Amino acid sequence: MIRHAIAEGLVVLRERSAVSVILALALGVPIALAGVGLTLHKWLGPVADLSGQKSSVAVLLHPQIESGERRRWIAELATDHPDWSVSEVSGSELAERLQRWFPYLEELMDSGDATLPSLVEILTDNPDLVTELEDRTEVLAVGPRSSIQQTLGLVARRLALIVGVISFVLLAVAVLLAAVWVHLELYRHADEVIIMRLVGATEGTIRGPFLVAVAIPGAVAGALSVAGSLTTVSGLSRLASALGLSAISVPPSVLVLQIAASVFLPLLAAVITLARHSADATKS
Amino acid sequence: MIRLRSVSKEYERRTILDALDLQVDAGEFVFLTGPSGAGKTTLLRMLYAAEYPTEGEVWVAGRRIDEMVRAQLPLLRRKIGVIFQDFKLLRRKTVLENITFVLRIHGVAPREAHRRAMKVLRRLGLQHRQAAFPDALSGGEQQRVAIARALAYQPRLILADEPTGNLDADLASELLSLLCDINYQGATVLVATHDHAILESIPARTLVLHQGQIHYDGMWPP
Repeated sequence: MIRHAIAEGLVVLRERSAVSVILALALGVPIALAGVGLTLHKWLGPVADLSGQKSSVAVLLHPQIESGERRRWIAELATDHPDWSVSEVSGSELAERLQRWFPYLEELMDSGDATLPSLVEILTDNPDLVTELEDRTEVLAVGPRSSIQQTLGLVARRLALIVGVISFVLLAVAVLLAAVWVHLELYRHADEVIIMRLVGATEGTIRGPFLVAVAIPGAVAGALSVAGSLTTVSGLSRLASALGLSAISVPPSVLVLQIAASVFLPLLAAVITLARHSADATKS
Repeated sequence: MIRLRSVSKEYERRTILDALDLQVDAGEFVFLTGPSGAGKTTLLRMLYAAEYPTEGEVWVAGRRIDEMVRAQLPLLRRKIGVIFQDFKLLRRKTVLENITFVLRIHGVAPREAHRRAMKVLRRLGLQHRQAAFPDALSGGEQQRVAIARALAYQPRLILADEPTGNLDADLASELLSLLCDINYQGATVLVATHDHAILESIPARTLVLHQGQIHYDGMWPP
């Protein structure tokens, strides 16, 4: 019956080609937008404070301090200030962060000539208290209380919220469109559905063509959204490179998520609509 | 094959079937007759679970269908060939596809479904119309396609609702002899009709339905 479902689903698509194109676009655009948003979020992750819960203050320690002494110092700090969240940023992560903003440092970092100071990040509700650490001998410098990380984080969070809301609303409209379309097709094919039931067709046989008719625009939407997000991110990456920032690329997991959402969401809408229709048919 | 126990059906306080008891054994050929509104179609619809009784039990092929869950209905309906009064053909499918579609639902392989569909179309003189869509057929031809569809998968029970309503006398006679052949091969046949000429053409058990009750059960003419 899979062949029947595909053949009949294609017939439905042919008869309603305009609706299927609109559905593919309606699904593809918000999913592409969400994909770009997620990519930028991941790109900004290491350099921006995206949590927004507390202030993050950077504390640079003297490079000469040995690792054992450094760990002891951090442990004491955590004991003295239980409300602080103290974490050590590894050398490799610090190098990655520096390279993100200053890509030309990559060669220097790789050569091993650069000795990076140890960086400790302190998350706290009261960043003023952290400035007291400046007097300690182990401390090289204490970063600003409102770091660029926080500013970037604030901007990124607001952008994420706006993009998220727009994507959600557009996606909800697209899913609703899929549900309404299936609903209308069921009414258009009501006689056929009744006949199919009467001659012994299972619900799977009846639903198959409608699911195919929704899954195909969903798959097209997936391709559109992947192409859209790759193109947009590529443009943003060129802009970032021109500003001396590191390149941006869409993570494969985001691409997979986009394709899955494009196919799964309209299918879910169709399954719910078909199940409701089936339940109504039982009642009547 | 068919057993009804105290079956009643009411529509908006109007009694269509009234405490009906009926038994049809496997391999019987039975006519169901009575005036319009007597409840013939309602009774047939109950037998393929398109209607449910208000009260009573409906048993078909050893299964109590008034208590069946929805998922079990397709399996029951695959044992029954129904010839609908209004044909119920799929408008977007050709004559051949209307038949092969049902065979495919029954799990018949595509090539075998095509072979069987052509065989039954030849038997009903419709092979030259295999590529036509139902709307391009006359009433009689549509009726024969509906019959071909019901017979194609050799069901154990055939329910026919006014099957000769759109056929001329020759075709009606041909159809009845076809139904007799199928009955001879072991299928149970229940034909609802109000055409007395048909009743008289074949000596068979006849049920006369009147005001929701069986008024006569025996050979026709009485």
